Amino acid sequence: MKPVRQAVLILLVALIPAGVTAVVHPRRPPWSGETLAPGEEKLKTVLSWGSNALWVDARSRPAYEAEHVPGALLLNLEEWDSLFPRFLDQWSPERKVVVYCDSKSCEMSHEVAARLERSGFSSVYVLKGGWEEWKKAAK
Amino acid sequence: MEKSGKVTSSRAAGFGIPFARAGLFFARLVLAGVFIFAGAAKIDDPGQFAIEVQRYQLVPWKVCAGIAIYLPWLELLSGLCLFLKSLERGALVLITLLLSVFTLALGSALVRGLSIDCGCFGHAFVSTGTVVPILRNLLLLLFAGALWTKNR
Repeated sequence: MKPVRQAVLILLVALIPAGVTAVVHPRRPPWSGETLAPGEEKLKTVLSWGSNALWVDARSRPAYEAEHVPGALLLNLEEWDSLFPRFLDQWSPERKVVVYCDSKSCEMSHEVAARLERSGFSSVYVLKGGWEEWKKAAK
Repeated sequence: MEKSGKVTSSRAAGFGIPFARAGLFFARLVLAGVFIFAGAAKIDDPGQFAIEVQRYQLVPWKVCAGIAIYLPWLELLSGLCLFLKSLERGALVLITLLLSVFTLALGSALVRGLSIDCGCFGHAFVSTGTVVPILRNLLLLLFAGALWTKNR
């Protein structure tokens, strides 16, 4: 059999388990679209990073002091200059920075993430759903 | 003349030289191993893999979902078929094509400055970035090239 025919055969055979996956796999992707904005990350993914994730709370100080993700650092635009050195102490190149604010609709986490990226940090992510999502999962 | 050329080429490909044969066996083992592992690692969570594909920002979500469901099986089968005499060359065609597409996608992410992980092995490896996977793919393409030479 010619190589192209062999390749087509393999392509067709792969359709069978893929078809079964599309129908019965418990973790199959939804067709309707679970879209993440550029730089956004799902809570489930961030949790899989474990201690490799450096949590950054981009909300106001009162909100942070009331409650926050365990181990999260406060870093918001209002107090950037005073809070940034503490972030630098905790940051290391192999850690992934995960910024969150209140909910899906708040923009502060995106702004803090953008500022970190402009400062030269890579692997900066925004938690999709923010603090609201964390609370929901913690219940 | 032609006959003697064929003999020389076949010897150069390594059939008479144990070292070259071992090299080709190693190349096949690595290629098959990487594809079987990459496929198996992603089959467990196609939903997460779809998100990894989406991060490349190259295709709409529905295509990402389709890729996430189909590609791991294709990788797994291609890796396995590399050990089957009757399907070996077809598997090599697919592996060469897939590696080329993966390298182009990674290169495009690198050029656009996307801060993403390769997503090549599901949860097995994270924080790999794009440069290391590109270099790895180029090395694997060299291995595939060596197997093509043997199959010519």
